[in-house]
Amino acid sequence: MTVLLLLAGGGFGAGVFGSLLGLGGGILIVPLLTFGFGLDFRAAVGVSLVCVIVTSSAAAGVYLERHLANLRLGMLLEVFTASGALIGGLIAFLLPDRVLAGLFALLLVYTAATMLRRATSAGDASPSIEDPDDAAGAAQAPGPFRAALAGPGYRPVRLGAGIGGSVFAGVVSALLGVGGGIVKVPLMHLVMRVPLKVATATSNLMIGVTASASAIVYLLRDGINPLVAGPTAVGVFAGAMVGSRVAQRIDVRLLRLLFVAVLALTAVQMTLRALG
Amino acid sequence: MTAPVTASGAMSAGTAASRSARVDRSIARILRAGTLVSIGLLAVGVALLAIAGGSPLERTLPGLDPARIPADILALRPEGFLWLGLLATLATPLLRVAAAVVGFLGAGERRMAGLGVAVLIVITLAVVVAQRTAA
Repeated sequence: MTVLLLLAGGGFGAGVFGSLLGLGGGILIVPLLTFGFGLDFRAAVGVSLVCVIVTSSAAAGVYLERHLANLRLGMLLEVFTASGALIGGLIAFLLPDRVLAGLFALLLVYTAATMLRRATSAGDASPSIEDPDDAAGAAQAPGPFRAALAGPGYRPVRLGAGIGGSVFAGVVSALLGVGGGIVKVPLMHLVMRVPLKVATATSNLMIGVTASASAIVYLLRDGINPLVAGPTAVGVFAGAMVGSRVAQRIDVRLLRLLFVAVLALTAVQMTLRALG
Repeated sequence: MTAPVTASGAMSAGTAASRSARVDRSIARILRAGTLVSIGLLAVGVALLAIAGGSPLERTLPGLDPARIPADILALRPEGFLWLGLLATLATPLLRVAAAVVGFLGAGERRMAGLGVAVLIVITLAVVVAQRTAA
């Protein structure tokens, strides 16, 4: 009973913080389950993928109703994120735990650096999406298919790079049990010139399908324990609901800095685990 | 330079936007319902697990066997609800894709529907490959 409550409580905490800080739960759940509950890395990734799907499905519905997510762009890219996730799901069962822990440590460092930059930067230095002299945009004629991917005030460019990056995002998601937003959002925003809010919402929409492709591999290879996944997912869902309601009333700048420290510490522990 | 907008062109753009909004709304409803059903099933499973007592980390379960789920649910065994909740969780995004395919076909957007079918083919491939490599 105590362990059950701790799993649900840990999931709740991951859901609250993930929601407040704009992170998927995976980056928190995998260390929680490996260090807190002694699960092996792959088992933690399997549970994390389930949690990521739950939070993505819940949030994606809201984003679609508010017309923030670009369904057409999402559907194009998720063909490739799902393919990457299938490949990653198969590779995950070939790699030793220590290698996966090492890769996760790298992801933690990258996430911490990204959050630190966001916490200390004054504004958004992203390129203008309306720039008429944008060479990449001008070079690509807006055919009917490309036009269908456009949204109000923007037209995605560099589809080839977007597709390649999506395969990579899918592999990362499947190997490490994260949604892959840390790859997809910068890819869509900085490379494909999609507005940040649309990129975030579209990435969220894609996470469900991406994580499902790899979660199926984990499930059919007995890589998901429902007794652990159940309480953790329920906790994450409840936490994400609470987090999204209080997010407007909380100044997350200090929280973000504290969290960077936690991520850095976790990266050190993961590195030690990787080194055996 | 902006192209002149004709009345029929504006109407057609308006219709396309309204169709698109309809597809978005129906998909949002599917995602919401799927999430509620998944979380509901998982929550019932967790409650039954709490009543049964013991640590979930110490119990071992056999792998997924869909044929056992109905019997487990009728017997109010937690694993039945948890497995079904997990399957509902994984199925929700796929239902979203299937609904988008239907919506795009209805709107005459065959290329977009084709993308949805491609996603479903990748997922089917994941099932087949996982089953073959699991043995």
